[in-house]
Amino acid sequence: MSAQRQVRTTISLPAASLKEAKHLARARNVNLSTVVGEALSVSLQNQRTRERTSSILDSYRRAFAGFSEDELMLLDGIVPEEPTRSRKKK
Amino acid sequence: MLNPASGPFLFDTSAEGWFKRSDAAASKQWLDSYLRHHPMHIASMTVFERVRGYAVLWRSATPDRKAWIEAARIAYLQDPGHVWPVDTGIAVIAGEISAMLPHPPTTVKRTHRMTESRQERLARWRVDIVIAATSLASGMLLLHNNAADFEAIRGAVEREPLRFPKLGPLQLMRCASAIS
Repeated sequence: MSAQRQVRTTISLPAASLKEAKHLARARNVNLSTVVGEALSVSLQNQRTRERTSSILDSYRRAFAGFSEDELMLLDGIVPEEPTRSRKKK
Repeated sequence: MLNPASGPFLFDTSAEGWFKRSDAAASKQWLDSYLRHHPMHIASMTVFERVRGYAVLWRSATPDRKAWIEAARIAYLQDPGHVWPVDTGIAVIAGEISAMLPHPPTTVKRTHRMTESRQERLARWRVDIVIAATSLASGMLLLHNNAADFEAIRGAVEREPLRFPKLGPLQLMRCASAIS
């Protein structure tokens, strides 16, 4: 993260969170920007994971919803035939 | 319960379907947690089985339903996860297992009006062997819903470990056990 370009900005933070971040920065002997930057990075990563997971689960639902039990069996690799059709083949 | 974070795991075709279709809160929660840590790992044979299923349904469907089935197929292929190809190592392991267990350990599947043919059953057995070989080659635990078949393969691998050097045991877990 230290290799990334740093920019200055002004934001408003909840007082309690800022207090906790300052406390953490002192305890770790790093500056406040490092602590806030790390927290933001983790939070954004979690958000991306949540969105990706939600998108995957949604595509799963669309892939399997609305099929009958027999059809789902087919989608699971089991290919049954109607017995009458099998007899006709002989 | 199997810790979802301790993966990744390989999902057999039946397990993939079970987790993706389940409405039970526990399995949904487990899958959600798993996907936050790892992609779903599947063998390429699972894609083969699944796509064949969609294709068979599509071929016998009415025009309206064809479009719907195609949409479901596209949704399935949108993000299948990490798909393991059948490479030389996996083919060698599968060949060894297939020679030891040439016949399926369980009988054909039946529904109230349909029956799986013997040929189809044998084909499905060989697919299961390739999936088990993928699990052995990757070292990943295999989640499944097909205890009889995979336990037979695990037993065979344990009986003749010299045919599977530096591999095994085949690690198995049933879906229901994973979430409880």
